[in-house]
Amino acid sequence: MFPIEIREATKIYEGGVEALRGVSLQCAPGTVTAIVGRSGCGKTTLLNLCGAMDFPTAGEVRIAGMETSKLGDRELTSLRRHRIGFVFQFFQLLPALTALENVELPLLLAGAKDSAKTALDRLRWVELAEKAGSLPYQLSGGQMQRVAIARALVHQPSILVADEPTGNLDTASGEVILRLIRRAADEFGAAVVMATHSAEAAAIADVRIRMRDGHIESREP
Amino acid sequence: MKLFRRLILRPLRQDRTRTALSLVSIALGVAVVIAIELAGDAATGSFQSSLTSLVGKVDFEITANGGVDETYFAKLAALPIKARFSPVIEQPVVIPGHGSTTLYGIDVVAAATEYRQSDSGGGDLESMAVVSEDLASRLGLSKGSSIELRGQNRTRSFRIQSIADDKNTSWVGIDIAAAQQLLDHYGRLDRIEVFLGPHQDMDEARRAIRSAVPASWEVGTPGARSEENRRMLRAFRWNLRILSYISLLVGAFLIYNTIAVSVVRRRTEIGILRAIGVSSGGVLLIFLGEASMLGLVGSILGVALGRGLAAGLLGMISDTVNALFVTSAPGAIALPWTSVAAATLTGTFVAFLSALIPAREAAQVAPAEAMRRAVTEHRSRLRAGRNLSLALVCCFAAVLLCLAGPIDGRPVLGYVATLLAVAAAALIAPSFVTGLAFVLRGVLKRLFGAEGLVAGRSLVASLSRTSVVVTALATAIAMMISVGVMVGSFRETVQVWLNSQLQADIYMRAQAPATAGIYPPMSSQVPDIVARTPGVAYIDVLHALEIRYEGQHATLGGARTDVLRRHRTVRFLSGNADDIFRSLINRDRAIVTEPFADKHHVRVGDVLHLPLGGKAANLTVAGIYYDYSSDRGFILIDETTLLQYLPDQPITNVAAYLAPGADAVKVRHDLAARLADFPLLIAPNEVLRRGAVEVFDRTFTVTYALEAIAILVAMLGAANSLLALVLDRRREIGVIRCLGAAGGQVRRMILAEAGLLGLLAGLLGLALGMALSLVLIYVINKQSFGWTIQFHPPLLLLAGALLLVWAFTVVAGIYPARYAARLEPAETIHEE
Repeated sequence: MFPIEIREATKIYEGGVEALRGVSLQCAPGTVTAIVGRSGCGKTTLLNLCGAMDFPTAGEVRIAGMETSKLGDRELTSLRRHRIGFVFQFFQLLPALTALENVELPLLLAGAKDSAKTALDRLRWVELAEKAGSLPYQLSGGQMQRVAIARALVHQPSILVADEPTGNLDTASGEVILRLIRRAADEFGAAVVMATHSAEAAAIADVRIRMRDGHIESREP
Repeated sequence: MKLFRRLILRPLRQDRTRTALSLVSIALGVAVVIAIELAGDAATGSFQSSLTSLVGKVDFEITANGGVDETYFAKLAALPIKARFSPVIEQPVVIPGHGSTTLYGIDVVAAATEYRQSDSGGGDLESMAVVSEDLASRLGLSKGSSIELRGQNRTRSFRIQSIADDKNTSWVGIDIAAAQQLLDHYGRLDRIEVFLGPHQDMDEARRAIRSAVPASWEVGTPGARSEENRRMLRAFRWNLRILSYISLLVGAFLIYNTIAVSVVRRRTEIGILRAIGVSSGGVLLIFLGEASMLGLVGSILGVALGRGLAAGLLGMISDTVNALFVTSAPGAIALPWTSVAAATLTGTFVAFLSALIPAREAAQVAPAEAMRRAVTEHRSRLRAGRNLSLALVCCFAAVLLCLAGPIDGRPVLGYVATLLAVAAAALIAPSFVTGLAFVLRGVLKRLFGAEGLVAGRSLVASLSRTSVVVTALATAIAMMISVGVMVGSFRETVQVWLNSQLQADIYMRAQAPATAGIYPPMSSQVPDIVARTPGVAYIDVLHALEIRYEGQHATLGGARTDVLRRHRTVRFLSGNADDIFRSLINRDRAIVTEPFADKHHVRVGDVLHLPLGGKAANLTVAGIYYDYSSDRGFILIDETTLLQYLPDQPITNVAAYLAPGADAVKVRHDLAARLADFPLLIAPNEVLRRGAVEVFDRTFTVTYALEAIAILVAMLGAANSLLALVLDRRREIGVIRCLGAAGGQVRRMILAEAGLLGLLAGLLGLALGMALSLVLIYVINKQSFGWTIQFHPPLLLLAGALLLVWAFTVVAGIYPARYAARLEPAETIHEE
């Protein structure tokens, strides 16, 4: 069983815009899948399906073996809470929480024990333990994204969804982030699916998928 | 026009819920202001004698303390001026089975034939009556039917000759001779009205009249009397007015918040507009235009709402005016266009002013910076220190202003002090929110987990807006607390005072509505009958009459001061009560109430020069005593002294002290039977006390109504602001959902924020309210009415009210919380 299994997924938005056409995708544990393509090609929609944030109009999306369109709000919440981690282009840290609190939040939401200790461990993993008490606006872009990665991995998800994780960073910071994403797949065994424009990002992937007008144009290897 | 529609109207239309909430807030604020104004005008604007509808417009009124000696009437009539003099008696009279009404005794022939040419016709003048349309419709009277009137010693029937066109007041007019006979009011008139003939010079007439009457008499115009009454009510109306503006002030905070949120939400739009060439002035105009539109539409709605609200408030204000100040029949509520224009302009202007700061910020920030929230909030935090210093300055200035005296008899500086206190609270709010959230952060996380953590932090993260909402809510709560403490303290003080004041067992007065300035006389036989009733040990009597002192209304009373001394019914500000009372007996000495002393700047030892019955009494003030019955002021002298100046002054009240062991109920029944022929109200001590407290509570009904509206405005504001906070954090909420938050958790998060907001506002409001209550009790109330109120905060009531407001704040969070919980993460997460 693959953490992410998509079969012939089609997504048509209200107003008739067809964002995806018969897309199929499988992501294995411990692998990084890069989705590349121009803006509007359907990358974000595909990521939304992978993160159980959206549902196909036709076809099937299975996350951790469960068909997402058949799940209720409670099951979807549980799925996101335990199986999926998200990394966004604009980091999306909660500005009111410190770095540590941002990382701890998913655990608190899940009611996990020893949340602060686990969160600090994850911050150490991204080498930012010394910034635990800092608020997001006190961090650089690269640091914010590292905190976001720590937050995404704090509950050891089987899936990591990353939307343009280096899109808002300089080259050096981008490289650090890409190394961390690679390590997430290697050390945590997460199935990483990443939308990107960057060739460097695509280079760390095990599988590269090129999309065009809502369908998969090519797949490597 | 196109730009106005696109840039101002369209955003308002798109954000319907928040626009509606803002409109309702402004509308309620304006409605309260205009309602208080209209109801106040109607309740106090009808001092013109009801007689005008019967006898026409009066040019002068001749009055004197203790009444006008009617022997002067002939002297006046002989004056070489073109004028007609009309004697008037104005007293309450009982209509058996139908309560009481005002009786006018007038010169029917002169009134009817010379001026009105009415249908009074011939017939027996002494049995004729004219009734107002109001009374006629109340009792189902018609022309030709009869009405029975009851004086102190006799009852007579009168035939209704005509019905006067007066739908607002209840009165009956009969011939002066018949009135004197009915009321045993011989030899004295309540006033003489003067009607000048055509081309008669007013000054010449006034000089001639002055020369013919004793110097102590007053010759004034009815307009002056109305003006004087209005002056007397000035403080009362000012306090109501200020109270009504609180709702508008709360509304102003909310408009500020609405525009601030609008600025933040439309930051991208601002950037685009600036990029395509809109100047910073243009951006300023957009947001000021938005606020002005809200203000204008809200104000128009408010005027309509206020007109309706005024009808509801009129009865309450009128009751208070009658109970505490002066007899006045409420008039019809008018809605002059000047009031409509003033209210609309005020509402629009308040909205415009409230939007000035956020609109200027929007205009000044560079497009690239585009009002990023973190930047705004960071600035807001940086300003906290400066704001605290400013708050300190405000507090210091407020204390100084409180120490200063009134201006023109008005506590103007007290009002300014309250505004400064509110300003100080607004300046303290950001530090207060940050500080308390910091203190509570561990507790919140422990108690409520992730929801508590995020709720607490989010309030601090949106500091600039949170602090405005907290200030708005705190202002409304402070108003509730301060007025609650003031009224509670006042009530307790009055109860203590009543307990010491009302020592007799049974009280009697003539049947008439209990209104300020009206002291209907009772039959001279009553005291003897009461004194002879088995079980009555001894009695006290009071001869009360309305007088004018230094051009203002006051009450003069003659009592058996020795009885008062024995029962210690009066508490003095200073001095030995025993000595003071002993010094009054049979001497030209008086004691005065605290409001009288305050109003006339009288101190112990001063001499009051009081014209009484054609003579001038020089009364030395022996003591000043606490009194909470009315702010008109009371001069109390010994009965013997009063009768020296006014030998015929009737008794108005009798108090009976029972012998030890006497059965109070039996004595009361016995008294009722013995006094059955006299129209009297006989009340045991406890009924009188209860009645006094009921009057007190009724007096403050309007205050509670105003408070409730201010709280309602604040609640709407809280809902509006929470919704704004949610809208502004849509993406954040999406992220939280992505991180595994269930819909219920997001809902609880927003409700926790609402609860925290309520807690913060409650605590700040409590502190501000306590400070304001001190200003109200010791500055505004003292300078307005002269009463010393002991500080007795009704703690349980306040705690209950605070809890209720807090619960309402949480309820106000329900809609925003549901909205937040329904947000789709996929939609919000990618929003720019």
